[in-house]
Amino acid sequence: MSARLLSAAGQRIRWLLGRVARSAHAARSWHRQQRCTESELRGIKLLREWLSPAQLAQFDLYGYFDVVGCDSGKTYRICYRSGTNIYELDRDGRRKVGWCFVPVDMLVAGDVVLAQKIALETGERRALAVARNFMPSWH
Amino acid sequence: MATQIVMDHSGDTRHYFDANDTKALLEAEERFVKLTGAGFTAAVRTASGEPTVTRSFDPAAKETLFFPRLVGG
Repeated sequence: MSARLLSAAGQRIRWLLGRVARSAHAARSWHRQQRCTESELRGIKLLREWLSPAQLAQFDLYGYFDVVGCDSGKTYRICYRSGTNIYELDRDGRRKVGWCFVPVDMLVAGDVVLAQKIALETGERRALAVARNFMPSWH
Repeated sequence: MATQIVMDHSGDTRHYFDANDTKALLEAEERFVKLTGAGFTAAVRTASGEPTVTRSFDPAAKETLFFPRLVGG
């Protein structure tokens, strides 16, 4: 009886925490979009159109998404920024090394991360050949 | 309508064209050649939504995305 009550309470707490997290995320997204220029919003729209469903869900929740390199099968995390925003992950999902490559023209962040995603998914070696690496500052 | 999307400082510029219109198709092919010649990468999506890079103009492509050459940051 008490085990059943505890289980039900646990489920209720998980549901509430999920709801709070979703509300907080929605508020963060709303504030982020309020500060965006029209160009940045267009970049975000284009990015969202090209992300896979899993990547889109991850991006909406955390502001980053993971891609798998087409040549090595390694996983990279691309954060929504215009530079020093790609992290190669180890098997435990921790940031192992940072990579930085960007389009030569000045583009909005959404375009930059979309170009990085396509490059890693279709031409990983070529992309990393021009990239600079850096040590992640935190895990 | 088919679309060519070119990334630029404004986010992107979209060029719509009727793939059944010979003149429009020729213009689209010229745009493809000009952009890729200038270092842009052209990408299309497969039926399952995965991106793939294309080196030659595909008149049947519904949407082609162009992004500038990549350099170390």
